Amino acid sequence: MTSLAWERRKGSAARLWRSYRSHRAGLYGLAGLAALALLALTAPLTVGADVQSVTHAPGTALEPPSARFPLGTDRFGRSLLGLLVWGARISLLVGLLAAVLSVAIGTLVGVLAGHYGGWFSTVVMRITDWFLVMPTLVLAIVLATVMSRSVWTVVLAIGVTSWPTTARLVRAQTIAVESRPYIERATALGGGHRHVMARHVLPNVMPLVLAQTTLGISAAILTEATLAFLGLGDPTVVSWGGMLQDAREAGAVSSGHWWYLAPPGIAIALVALAFTLCGRAVESVLNPRLGVGR
Amino acid sequence: MVMVTKVPPRPRPGARPARLRRAAGPLLAAGVTAASLAAVPATAPAAAAEDGKSGGTTLTVAVSQSIDSLSPFLAQKLTSTSVHRLAYEYLTNYDPKDARTVPGFATEWSASADKLTWTYKIREDSTWSDGKPATAEDAAWTFTTMMTDPDAATANGNFTANFEKVTAPDPRTLVIRLKKPQATMTALDVPIVPKHVWEKVGDFSKFNNDRSFPIVGNGPFVITDFKVDQYIKLRPNKTFWRGAPKFDELVFKYYKDGDAAVAALQKGEVSFVPNLTPAQAAALKTQKDIKVNDAPGRRFYALATNPGARAQDGTAFGNGNKALLDPAVRKALFLAVDRATLVDKVFQGHAVEGEGYIPPRFGSYFWKPEAARKRAYDPAAADKTLTDAGYVKNGAGERLGKDGRPLSFRILCHATDPNDKAVAKYLQEWWGRLGVGLTVECLDSVSDPWTKGDYDLAFDGWSVNPDPDYVLSIHTCGTLPATAKDTGATDNFICDREFDGLYAQQAVEYDPAKRAELVKRMQSRLYDTGYMNVMAYPNALEAYRTDQIASLTTMPEAAGNIWGQDGYWSWWSAVPAAGSGGSGSGSSTGVVVGIAATVVVLAGGFLLLRNRRRAGADDRE
Repeated sequence: MTSLAWERRKGSAARLWRSYRSHRAGLYGLAGLAALALLALTAPLTVGADVQSVTHAPGTALEPPSARFPLGTDRFGRSLLGLLVWGARISLLVGLLAAVLSVAIGTLVGVLAGHYGGWFSTVVMRITDWFLVMPTLVLAIVLATVMSRSVWTVVLAIGVTSWPTTARLVRAQTIAVESRPYIERATALGGGHRHVMARHVLPNVMPLVLAQTTLGISAAILTEATLAFLGLGDPTVVSWGGMLQDAREAGAVSSGHWWYLAPPGIAIALVALAFTLCGRAVESVLNPRLGVGR
Repeated sequence: MVMVTKVPPRPRPGARPARLRRAAGPLLAAGVTAASLAAVPATAPAAAAEDGKSGGTTLTVAVSQSIDSLSPFLAQKLTSTSVHRLAYEYLTNYDPKDARTVPGFATEWSASADKLTWTYKIREDSTWSDGKPATAEDAAWTFTTMMTDPDAATANGNFTANFEKVTAPDPRTLVIRLKKPQATMTALDVPIVPKHVWEKVGDFSKFNNDRSFPIVGNGPFVITDFKVDQYIKLRPNKTFWRGAPKFDELVFKYYKDGDAAVAALQKGEVSFVPNLTPAQAAALKTQKDIKVNDAPGRRFYALATNPGARAQDGTAFGNGNKALLDPAVRKALFLAVDRATLVDKVFQGHAVEGEGYIPPRFGSYFWKPEAARKRAYDPAAADKTLTDAGYVKNGAGERLGKDGRPLSFRILCHATDPNDKAVAKYLQEWWGRLGVGLTVECLDSVSDPWTKGDYDLAFDGWSVNPDPDYVLSIHTCGTLPATAKDTGATDNFICDREFDGLYAQQAVEYDPAKRAELVKRMQSRLYDTGYMNVMAYPNALEAYRTDQIASLTTMPEAAGNIWGQDGYWSWWSAVPAAGSGGSGSGSSTGVVVGIAATVVVLAGGFLLLRNRRRAGADDRE
């Protein structure tokens, strides 16, 4: 890498940030995410892993919100605020990993299909189409059911079922990039398949991948919560969806214990919203058609 | 098998959302949240409207467990056998006061001096709902069919396995000749079916008795309609010999979600809901026109260890952890279980701490270990037991097994049972302090790994009937699967010669006091084998609307349960409340509505954004 290339990249990053700043919703989303990430990362210091302990639960079961327990307690007498903070770790982790996995698969499939084209592309895209028309949730439920219940199962189940959209987008972008003259020049100068894909196509589809990941995270968090709510998560791990499932099983809905249900539900909605706001802002920054040129 | 109420391995408190019906999409979780929050205020259809429909009174019972079959020869699940109690007569019944045997289809009975011939007098005032008289011939045919056709013996074959010949010398006399004495002869929980209807059935393994309604029976109710997982409808048998039931219709209505059933009860759509959670019971207690019944249960809730699954031919199978074959390991694990805390925290006091095996409710058979023998909560002793037995901790605090690897077990839990998951959390922490790992494997159906012996520990539980023969029989060697490929009636692959000897003795003992003594010795032996730890006897937690049901009989009559009785007493005795008007008690807090609305709004905003984004994406392509 030459220093010139670095300069150029630095410049474009600054440009990117400048235009991102002009999206107020995106800034709100980013601020929300930063706060949440901070909360999740510092959870071991603020609430501590002990908050999950049922044998050392400080309160009695299903206490309403009070000064001691701002969000009340769960069926074991654990502080719901503490659990909410602790649960953010799993929900965010699963969301991030699943989205990264999904986008990684999608990018790989998309670039390969777009680059090689021909019958290979046709076969791969038909498989993609098959996954695309399969309802993600049904597939994820099947996977989560047949595999043992753990966080990794959920990550895998979400990751391998939600990649087709990315694959389609990346393939289209790959074809667009490869039709440019400089790719032809690179090939003429002896660049092989790998060189073209890694050095020219990938950097050009990366912005798209970034936007797709940001948007994918919110979907992944929602799916994780859904799977946990349906009882397909790891019951021994505290997550937001799992808290909802616990609340439902304890009969919180019919007995009016709203403080058991509402916080995790609202948290899920807010995080999904924050990621979506960020993703949308990134997307409109990167998409020239949406009016912000490079 | 000697019991009607087989609930293998546990009644499922159907708590499963209608999962596939919800539309897939990124909005799902928010949508689900909103839906569940809104569930209480949203269900507002007319309350108790059935009452006015036909001018009659309807008793609606919320149920969750699916019907396995309406054929008495096949049905084993609690809901099915409860329905059969209502629709057919059994030779004998149990008194609601003290569960002693009282006349049913038979009015009196006697055994011959050699204890091998039993003679039953059949009542004259029982007729089938199609008008034909019900006679000893029907009973003889029912038993003989079960003896000769293995398919007909599916559900209750254990009763007739020891029968030599059953005859009906005249319409009022039934004679059963036994191969060897049988203690359960006054507790034959077999529905007697009408011969003139059932002799036309060809293949008993396929006939589910759900084709033509009403179904001919002679119990207090007649089954008039059935839709899988929707409802079972019954009307009273006006000519029932003990007197017709008071309600004009009895409906078992399906609610797969416990909260939905409770909401329906609050609205007056159903009259009775069983299997409440402690939170639901506490909330319902404060409501007008609802009575919560908290009665000692007839079920035990236990921790079972895999004693090394094997078949009767001696082949071992399954992948149970070998460390559990060491009594010291099992003892240490059990010593580290604080049953009092489980009763207090998980069951919120709605249970009795587990002791022997049979619940204290069955006083004559109840046994508990004396203080010195009791495996009381003692983590220090548990730690010492393991260390003394040669299991030491490594630097990381992990307990090492004999193979030098850290000790870690799996526990099989029912994904549909919240208590399993809750108890598992406690076990993880208690055993974690011993340095023993625990992986919780929650499955919708545990029977597959269970019958294959692919488990280390499991949550186990059975409903116990007034006659304990069945729950004892499932721990005898004779119930092990014949070969590794078969399925046996065994609960947990326990096979102990001493236990078997006592079981054989009690089975032929006709003196109740002596039999009870033998049953207690069996429990004592079972306790000593240390394969099972009975953690609790959960209460029956149920509620009914007093503005729909004026009164009903619990069993036992003093502080007893309503759902899953050993008899038809609850619904037969239920009296409709005068002028049972619908009063939808929508007292659920407005806060819930507010939150639901908030979530819906948030979800809506999210949807909007998604749509706008999608529009952008379409443009680009």
